[in-house]
Amino acid sequence: MVFLLLEVFLFSQLAQYRSVWRMATNKDVVLKLEEIHKQYESADRSPVEVLKGVSLTVKRGDSIAIVGPSGCGKSTLLNILGSLDSPTSGNIQLDGQELANLSEQELAAVRNKKIGFIFQSHHLLPQCSILENVLIPTLAEKGKASLDAIKRAKQLLERSGLEHRLTHRPFQLSGGECQRVAVVRALINQPSLILADEPTGALDHSNAETMTELLVKLNREDQATLIVVTHSMELAAKMETTYKLQNGIFSS
Amino acid sequence: MTIWSLVINSFRYYAKSHIGTILGVTVGTMVLVGALLVGESVKGSLRNMAEARLGKVELTLSSNDRLFRSKLANQIQAELIADTTAMLQLPGIAKRPSGESRANNVVVLGVDKTFWKLALKQPKFKDIPEDGIVLNERLARQLGNLKVGNVINLRVHNPSQLSRDAPMAPIEDSTASLAQMEIIAIISEKEFGRFSLQASQVPPYNAFVRLDQLQEAIEKPEMANLMLVGSMDKLSDNPLKRAHTALAKHWQLADAQAQLLQLPDNKGIELRSPRVFLDPPLAQAAKAIDENTTEILTYFVNNIQIGDRSTPYSMASALADFEPGTVWLNKWTANDLQAKVGDDVELSYYSVGTMRQLEERSEKFKIGGIISMDDPRSDITLMPDFPGMTDSENCSDWDTGFPMNLDAIREKDEDYWDNYKGTPKAYISLKTGKEIWSNRFGSLTAIRYTKNGPKALESLEKKLLTELNPQDTGLTFQAARLQASASVNNAMDFGQLFMSFSFFLITAAIMLISLLFQFTIEKRTKETGTLLAVGISGKRVRRMLTLEGGLIAIVGCVIGSAAGTLFAKALLNALSTNWKDAVASAALTYHSSISAICAGMAMGFCVAMFTIWWTLRKLKKQTARELLAGEFKEQIQTQKSAKRSAIIGVLLLLTVLISVGYTVAKGDQIPPQAFYGAGALLLLSGITLTSAKLRRLGSHSILNQTHSLNIGGLGQRNAARRPRRSMATIGMLACGSFMIASIGVFQKDANIDSDQPNSGTGGFELMGEASIAVVHDMNNKTNREDYYSLDEDLLKEVSFVPFRLRDGDQANCLNLNLAQEPRLLGVNPEMLAGKFTFIDTIDGLETGDNPWSILESARMSTQLPDDVIPAIADQSVMMWALSGGDMMKSKKLGDTLDYIDEQGRPFKIKFVGQIADSILQGNLIISESDFIKRFPGESGYRFFLVDGPKEQSREISNELNVAMSDHGFEWIKTTQRLGELNAVQNTYLQTFQVLGGLGLLLGSLGLGVVVMRNVQERKSELALLRAIGFKKSLIKQFVLHEYLSLLVAGLSIGTIAAILAVLPTILSPTTIVPYTLLASTLGGVFILAGLWTWIATNLSLRGNLLDGLQRD
Repeated sequence: MVFLLLEVFLFSQLAQYRSVWRMATNKDVVLKLEEIHKQYESADRSPVEVLKGVSLTVKRGDSIAIVGPSGCGKSTLLNILGSLDSPTSGNIQLDGQELANLSEQELAAVRNKKIGFIFQSHHLLPQCSILENVLIPTLAEKGKASLDAIKRAKQLLERSGLEHRLTHRPFQLSGGECQRVAVVRALINQPSLILADEPTGALDHSNAETMTELLVKLNREDQATLIVVTHSMELAAKMETTYKLQNGIFSS
Repeated sequence: MTIWSLVINSFRYYAKSHIGTILGVTVGTMVLVGALLVGESVKGSLRNMAEARLGKVELTLSSNDRLFRSKLANQIQAELIADTTAMLQLPGIAKRPSGESRANNVVVLGVDKTFWKLALKQPKFKDIPEDGIVLNERLARQLGNLKVGNVINLRVHNPSQLSRDAPMAPIEDSTASLAQMEIIAIISEKEFGRFSLQASQVPPYNAFVRLDQLQEAIEKPEMANLMLVGSMDKLSDNPLKRAHTALAKHWQLADAQAQLLQLPDNKGIELRSPRVFLDPPLAQAAKAIDENTTEILTYFVNNIQIGDRSTPYSMASALADFEPGTVWLNKWTANDLQAKVGDDVELSYYSVGTMRQLEERSEKFKIGGIISMDDPRSDITLMPDFPGMTDSENCSDWDTGFPMNLDAIREKDEDYWDNYKGTPKAYISLKTGKEIWSNRFGSLTAIRYTKNGPKALESLEKKLLTELNPQDTGLTFQAARLQASASVNNAMDFGQLFMSFSFFLITAAIMLISLLFQFTIEKRTKETGTLLAVGISGKRVRRMLTLEGGLIAIVGCVIGSAAGTLFAKALLNALSTNWKDAVASAALTYHSSISAICAGMAMGFCVAMFTIWWTLRKLKKQTARELLAGEFKEQIQTQKSAKRSAIIGVLLLLTVLISVGYTVAKGDQIPPQAFYGAGALLLLSGITLTSAKLRRLGSHSILNQTHSLNIGGLGQRNAARRPRRSMATIGMLACGSFMIASIGVFQKDANIDSDQPNSGTGGFELMGEASIAVVHDMNNKTNREDYYSLDEDLLKEVSFVPFRLRDGDQANCLNLNLAQEPRLLGVNPEMLAGKFTFIDTIDGLETGDNPWSILESARMSTQLPDDVIPAIADQSVMMWALSGGDMMKSKKLGDTLDYIDEQGRPFKIKFVGQIADSILQGNLIISESDFIKRFPGESGYRFFLVDGPKEQSREISNELNVAMSDHGFEWIKTTQRLGELNAVQNTYLQTFQVLGGLGLLLGSLGLGVVVMRNVQERKSELALLRAIGFKKSLIKQFVLHEYLSLLVAGLSIGTIAAILAVLPTILSPTTIVPYTLLASTLGGVFILAGLWTWIATNLSLRGNLLDGLQRD
């Protein structure tokens, strides 16, 4: 029941996005990666190249799964996509904006406004209530959550079946519930790209299944642009496109 | 939901984790608030003492031996509309009639009712009755807890108009006594029991008697030597000027020790002085007001001789009427000597030297004429009023103060006295008279005007009082209250002192704040990463954490300020007990001060915020990705940085070895500073080498040394994983133990080399200070026997160095107030030849064999103007006592200090030499000749240094105490005095050690915190060790090994460096190294830090370690 409600709610949310998106060019490019390389310095100071020229174009409404063995650079790629990390070389454009030219402050604003993150761990702040956790991204701009934001957060939580949890602390919730709060948090600023890093990784089978359904629905019904990094072939299979990252390059 | 509410939520949620950081801030604030409150309390106590000693007094006029009319106070009171009183303040001695107890240095105060009006609190009695006496509490205690109704005897100094240095001054009446005085009250400090003009934290011994009774006892009715003026109306913007104007308006010639007399038979009006000689300013003014004046100088001659005929003990006058080289005799004398014009006559007389030394000189003249006994020049009034002589019936009753051969006085001399009194028998020219009889008291005994009649007298008096300035005769008001507040405000700042003593406590607190706050932040890396990931800028995240830190700091500061007041009370308690020498046993009371508390809190807050800001700075370099992954970056060490540290460390070590080796090889006297410097370098070298070692262990090169892997090595390598944490701990322990171990040996011992002339005692055995001056040469055996009946057998090898003393503020560490006008000692530089150690003298001075001679030679060689007097002082007097502990204000050679002399003339003291700290601390030393020029009224010597056989010092001091008891001498061993002075510095060092030790103990707690945190961080690794078969005890051993090595490294580096630093002092056979204190401090730190480590290890490793593995 809860999940049903959640789906309905998220669906309605995405319907809002859809109307906006459809007003724009149909299937326009949201994200474009060109020849992304990423090199790290290993412990003995020798360079290790994790990404060796990854290129990718993501259009609005696409759903993409990135899979690959451990250590293949999936998370690195996702961090680069989410501007949490910068490539050694190559270009990234988000909504036509070149990320490489942005300052740390501007990147933070991009993350805040245009990207929603879902991590394997929910990373909820233990000192804040569920409602407050959802509102955290809205503090970035003015240091204060607007009444609109609070209203929206409450709606989102209500529709995700967490209305009775608004004033609870994260430790009082189950893992699945926490992860749903993390999804709601990712949606609060109406981002144009949702990045999920092993979103089901920390969930049990039934919760993982629900989460998968939810993400698929987000994409299908709502044309939400979704990039998921996962080990789960089940989840990957539900995405429109699956890229396999191996030896630093995609092999589809 | 706002950033603020998020901050407050976080603060509340993590409150438990913040406890440690709050504790750090609390300790820091407590120490700062405590130190500042101690400073305020010392100042507040000094202010209370100043209030108590001055009551409502604003201005004072103190004229010592120059008395003025007590009525002057009434006249000035009417003018100023302020409470005014005239009183007598005389040094004295108090004794119980039974002789069982006595007090020297008693201040006997003759007061009337008006005095008590100036007290803060009126005493219960209205006035002191005849034969009644009031004591202050300290004197009553000193005399054996006397009670009201007990009886005491007083002996007081009798001020003499004619300086007692003058050989013609009588000595019989140099003291007066007040016997069987019944105590009517013992008064508290508020009731003026502490009354004193000198700023000192030690109350004087005050005895109050009726003014008229004291005046009667010293035979100076209606006279006073101290005037006090209370506060004037508020309109008076310059009370000092107003008081001087009032004084100039109401003063009379009697106040200037002068009188105008109508001479009999209309022979004119004469100006004379009870001081016998006219003060030079008085003589000058007297000549300026009238054109027709006759200057007279009449002197006492021992003998008038022609061949073998002589006339003894006569007066001789020098007048302008006579030709130089000639003498005119009166008829009686010419007859007595059968003299005729043209005969050679020899006049012999005593010259006025220092120490009443009687040097008989003579001068030859030719008789120029004979003056008949009817001649107007045969004038009985030419003789000045010699005390002890003028009023005598017979020549044989004269009390002249010098030895007279009474047998030489013939019957006809008595007849002459009966008929002609002191009519001069011989007359010489004024010019010659001034040449041979002038002295420091003056060069004239009278000035005559040709005018006659009361009107002329009145007019002359008026003119003279207008011409003469009261200040020229020593009547000067001092703004006592302003001076008192200046000495309190500029007093040694104990707030700063205790802040510096608490240096290690504050450092330890900072280290704790930094470590603990960082740990709290590190615990929350994922949270911080999330905030960054959701788009909150790094700057804002840091600001949020800083705000949270601010809340921690505020809570810490509030608790710290409360703890600070308790800490201040504890320190004050220590200052009144164990550390009482640091404040020279001053009674200190706690004074709360909002401003001090706020200042301490503000400082604590700033320190905490700076530390927090500095800790958060590292967060800048962390990316959201790293933080989300739970990583907190610690810079990976490179082999290069390890090498660089190693090179610096080795270079420092080489410098130490070369410098010590070179100095030792040279075989010179090794200056202790060189060793201290070498010790400090060794400390740095040790720390740098340890850092290099840790960096090497942390670098990759170590990974190739698999063969050397063992449990201990692994432990050390673990210590290198967080090299900054480890170095903070080692650095703190090393620096702390270095300071504590090395500072201890700077304790001074007064007994070392105390018999050496170049030591702080000057090689003297005893020193003594008298209440009543000694005017005789104590090195003269005859004087010792004649005047004091001293045992010559005991004293035959004893020599005295006498000093003239001008009272002032003690300028040494025993006086907490800033000395405004330090005490002056006047000495004959020859007598100090070879004594004490000179540190430096002003450039361009020839010191020759005796550096003390610069007191006299500096005037010529550096061309000092007349109003500048060269002085020598102790190093600590110049550095500390005259600057209130403020290094910036210390006096240097060549600097000057303003003074006012006895006649109100300003002059400067210029520092021309500096001696190493000695028993003379507290005084400025000037030459005796300069002293008597500026203070001719300070007769005799009140300060003595005594050289004599060491083994008999007790007997000598007893003998001197008994024989010279009338002078109120306090004889003490020089080593005792030096010990009292050293005790201040020694106590400072002890305080530093104790507070530093506390800091080190707190710092050792930091080690425990580091252990806890590191073990927590590595729980999974340790779990792995457990999983692969390590026993828990082995894991504990492994962790303990890691941290004990840090502890041992820190303490050993510090201690070894300290040993090198103080090696010369330790090797000196006379040094007393406080081994127990050192060992207990360092041992305590080792044991406690070990304990923290053990507890931290056990706490961190309790429970099932394998859980850690599963969680991961």
